[in-house]
Amino acid sequence: MTQRQLKKNCLIGLVLAAFALPLAVQNPTYLHILIMLFLFAYMTTTWNLVGGFAGVLPLGHSVFVGIGAYSSTVLWLQYGISPWIGMIVGGLLSALVGYLIGKPTLKMRGAYFALSTMAFLEGVRVMVENIDMLGPFKLNGPRGLNIPPLPPEDAGFWVFQFSSKEPYYFIALTMLIAVLALTYFISRSKFGYYLKAGGEEPEAAQALGVNVASCKVAATALSAFLTAMAGTFLAQLTLFIYPKSVLTLDLSFELAFIALIGGRGSIAGPVIGALLLRPVGEFSRIYFSDSLPGLHLIILGVVLIVVMLYQPRGLSEPLLKLFDRITSRFTKEAQEDKV
Amino acid sequence: MSLLEIQGLTKQFGGLVAVDDLSLSIEKGQILGLIGPNGAGKSTAFNCVAGVYAPTRGSIIFDGEDVTGQKPWDLCRKGMGRTFQIVKPFNSLTALENVMIGAFAITDSREKAKAKAVEVLETLGMGDKKYLKPGTMTIADRKCLEIAKALATDPKLLLLDEVMAGLRPTEVDEVIKIIQTLKAQGMTIFVIEHIMRAIMTLSDEIVVIQFGKKICQGAPEKVASDEKVIKAYLGEDYVPA
Repeated sequence: MTQRQLKKNCLIGLVLAAFALPLAVQNPTYLHILIMLFLFAYMTTTWNLVGGFAGVLPLGHSVFVGIGAYSSTVLWLQYGISPWIGMIVGGLLSALVGYLIGKPTLKMRGAYFALSTMAFLEGVRVMVENIDMLGPFKLNGPRGLNIPPLPPEDAGFWVFQFSSKEPYYFIALTMLIAVLALTYFISRSKFGYYLKAGGEEPEAAQALGVNVASCKVAATALSAFLTAMAGTFLAQLTLFIYPKSVLTLDLSFELAFIALIGGRGSIAGPVIGALLLRPVGEFSRIYFSDSLPGLHLIILGVVLIVVMLYQPRGLSEPLLKLFDRITSRFTKEAQEDKV
Repeated sequence: MSLLEIQGLTKQFGGLVAVDDLSLSIEKGQILGLIGPNGAGKSTAFNCVAGVYAPTRGSIIFDGEDVTGQKPWDLCRKGMGRTFQIVKPFNSLTALENVMIGAFAITDSREKAKAKAVEVLETLGMGDKKYLKPGTMTIADRKCLEIAKALATDPKLLLLDEVMAGLRPTEVDEVIKIIQTLKAQGMTIFVIEHIMRAIMTLSDEIVVIQFGKKICQGAPEKVASDEKVIKAYLGEDYVPA
């Protein structure tokens, strides 16, 4: 067996184990933690398309989560349209917003881009908090939207409501695997290389035929589409959304934290980051939310500082090297072509 | 027919005229050298040709087409490859991947881009350094990598902006050899260089500019003995009486 095959088998084993996990874990609280872990790994992966590959730091990605959540919820509540269709509609709307906001802001560098995305998010949040009706659509201002739970006999796949946690688990896991596969595919494609080149040395990339600005805008639109799908999922999971739950800086920062700690611009980074940080966040929320609310953000901040000091490119790099060393122990083949 | 023709090129930054009414043309297969004292406007002229700046006035005709004011990425696809005075490698990518970015200009396929990149690196004698990251390479290798990236786009015209600056004499010789090989293969090259030994050996024709204006043009020997050129570089006192 070559090292590459061994790695592939490990990966397949991991995926199968993840799918089999609900057999062992039946406590709904733990399942919920796992679902949120997958959801955050998913959102961070979509964030990573812009924040990692395109080399900018978006800090307002929850605006897309909000668009996804509100789109599908409004369509379901007012028109009875399946949240699955709402997910696509929200995605398209979000991609359009991503395109419109990305077009002018992606020309800015560093902190200016980060600040402008934050400002846009805050603007949208304040707007949603202050209007009850957007045209014919009821947003219900700061009170948010409540999706009445269906009786168990009406729940099911098409209405995206389930009486147990397991279906949510499988949907979240499938979405995560799909988006990871997409990222893998993109990172090896011309588009992926162009994004990386444009993110690192825009002038040099342009001289080599890369239209840096349009690559970044395309990545942002794609990322916005996929992030909005997570918003719909979140709305269906919690059945209650309000501006401060989906359109917040906290959520945007957490995605950036996970990516930075896990490893920006790497495929495994967001997953590793979520695996490490989500449980910390969840447990601190469960045990300290009364005495020390917001403790999880302090913990994230401390972890981020430590990681940035000792592993500025994130934890995925040393961990993958370790994995590489372990798998090479078991195989005797020479190092393969690494590109 | 000339491959590149610049007519009355002028570039102003506010009140500063960086390039003033510059006209020149490059024939196919020729090496044209552009020299001048520091701040003469060489790089600005280059950047206008490569599309980084839109010229204030004047026109640039490349391969029979008016390309004035077109963007760098479009010009690259039309066959203009360039290097930068200060090397700009993509540091997170290997040498091979760096060159692949260039090769993607002519193909969408990853495999074809990789094959092209390997080919270019091997012709430049860097075949054994494909998996190195630019950060671990010597400055000479990084300069070569710049040339490799540009060559991978299959250019008709190669714009070299001081590729030999900062190299040791033996390394300069190697780069000269590389450029001569490219010329032998029929490449047209427009080169800015400060190292006189190199530019005198390489160029078929030299254009000298000072304060953005062309002061002399001709074969290397003619330019070297021109009164105005000596004045520009050394001052009035050194003009032979």
